[in-house]
Amino acid sequence: MDMLKKAPKAGAIVAFLVLFSLAVTWKMNNYTVLVVNMALINMITAYGLSIMLGMCGQLVFSGVAFMGIGAYITANLCSGRLGFFLPGHAAVVAAVALTALIAWAAGILFLRLKNSFCTFATLGFVQVLYVLFLNYEPAFGGPKGIPEIRTLSVGGFVFDSYKKWYFLLLGIVLLIALIVERIRRTNLGRSLASIRDNEIAAQSLGVNIYRTRVIAFVIAGAFAGLSGSLLAQHNRFISGDQFSFAKSTTIVIMSMLGGINSTPGIFVGALIVTFLPEVLRGLDKYLMLIYGFAVIIMMIFMPMGIGGAVSDFLKTMRRKHKVKS
Amino acid sequence: MLHGAASPDNKNGGIKVNFSIFFSMLVNGLSMGMIYAMIAMGLILLIRAVGVLNFAQGDLLMVGAYIACVLIMDLSLPFYIAVPLSLVLYALLGLVFMLATYWPLRKASYPVAPIIATMGASLVLSEGTMILFGSWPRIISPVLKNAQGKALTVNLFGTRLQVQFLLIIVVAIVAMALIYLLFEKSYIGIMMQAAAQDKPTAELIGISTLMTTAATYMLVVVLVSIGGYMVAPVYTVTTSLSSLNLRAFAGTVIGGFGSIKGAIIGCLLVGVVESFATIRFSSYKDAIVFLILIVFLIFRPQGLIIDKVADKA
Repeated sequence: MDMLKKAPKAGAIVAFLVLFSLAVTWKMNNYTVLVVNMALINMITAYGLSIMLGMCGQLVFSGVAFMGIGAYITANLCSGRLGFFLPGHAAVVAAVALTALIAWAAGILFLRLKNSFCTFATLGFVQVLYVLFLNYEPAFGGPKGIPEIRTLSVGGFVFDSYKKWYFLLLGIVLLIALIVERIRRTNLGRSLASIRDNEIAAQSLGVNIYRTRVIAFVIAGAFAGLSGSLLAQHNRFISGDQFSFAKSTTIVIMSMLGGINSTPGIFVGALIVTFLPEVLRGLDKYLMLIYGFAVIIMMIFMPMGIGGAVSDFLKTMRRKHKVKS
Repeated sequence: MLHGAASPDNKNGGIKVNFSIFFSMLVNGLSMGMIYAMIAMGLILLIRAVGVLNFAQGDLLMVGAYIACVLIMDLSLPFYIAVPLSLVLYALLGLVFMLATYWPLRKASYPVAPIIATMGASLVLSEGTMILFGSWPRIISPVLKNAQGKALTVNLFGTRLQVQFLLIIVVAIVAMALIYLLFEKSYIGIMMQAAAQDKPTAELIGISTLMTTAATYMLVVVLVSIGGYMVAPVYTVTTSLSSLNLRAFAGTVIGGFGSIKGAIIGCLLVGVVESFATIRFSSYKDAIVFLILIVFLIFRPQGLIIDKVADKA
């Protein structure tokens, strides 16, 4: 019974993805595909935020910092700066593992703090790393960034066009989305939700708040590291200004727009936020202004984002249907 | 550009630090710290009153600087008209800001919603002024001028200082003291505190929380905008003034979230550290400020001064 109820939703998502992929393959030029790919890469970080903010209720800005760490690790391993080239997929694994390790160390320090304090700590973390990325030449290439990163190749198959990358990224995003959905239904997900809804009650039920939050933070950090690593190999060039505080707010807005607790919602939100500048190219000058107004208006009318609004709508429809029958 | 006429040669690095440079750096640092403190005080008042972390605080400061610039430079109004008029405009700005980013959201099911709304407002304010005035920095004449219309300087302990820096310190202290007295001692202030601590009970005994919230927002924006007007002659009027916000955040956390005194001390510390950091590590000064923030968060998360309402934040 439960499966039947879910089937139309899953069917709609699959249909949307197939149509979208067809559009990407046949209708879009190289530049548009690049934009879609960037949206997909950002989405991975946004899913990490969804675990921290949506499930755990803790606003963190650190996603972009970990994205930067993952990107610079990959860049150093794959551009020959250190005197050797690591194969792309090995670099991804190394970047994710190292980023998760750093996220674990940072999480141990930051998550002892509550609410706004923790938000501020992550904000400081982003700022410190941003300045380091921009200025420290030996590890991060300084203001010039790191160019000539090798693109990913797996077993002789080289991802040398944006369309090839699109299918790889879509696969990874779907995998991440499934992991997020899975986490929501595990012990960890329910512990996180209990912390978000009532910390004292959670504690009295035996949830180890600190440990649970650190685990969530590490998962979010690993996601961000993955997205950074893919970003470095996709763009083949990275520089510090891709990992600024402004980028963090964009990621936060992306997830809030889509619906912080809605996995398909974040997909849509990231696409909208990344595409808006392209669609409104003629209104370039007013773009960020419109964007700001849109954020305020959205927070007023649908604080749970598009995903939340849609599921509310479906709920009321279902209730009406029941009343009729 | 940051430290104006007082230290034009520190970009070369490796300069010898004598007393004169030390003293002017100290005054620069303290005056910037005072600007951060004004932002921070507004931040804490808002957190106490409505529990909203305001990410648009720096943009409000920037808009305040632009309003002063338009009134004084473009319309060339005399000082005694321009100042009261700008104060009225600041208060109106605060009212509009409150009605847009807080009032419709006060019952939002998701507590992060009003905070995200201030992020949106930050974009609206900075992009709006960018569209209206362009990204070119504008010059505003300092409040105190010498006979040639240039910034007035004084000699203090053998150091030439811009009077504007000293004026920032004085004005900031006076403005913050007035707002502190208003909140702690006056009847209206006590009403605002009551509304901040317990909205339903305050409503029950006849306090209009709409009025108190609006008054708080107006006071906060007036305070922050005065900061913008004071800092504008030193920094020039540009949209990048809004970046002062993050350093004020750092000072607030170092000082202790709930405590205004602590936040002021923290902000002064940030200002001075930043000022001295320019001597040697110009490009890393932001990193140093935020490293101090992180160190404080790890070793003394409750801040320098602990306040009884700190847990509200």
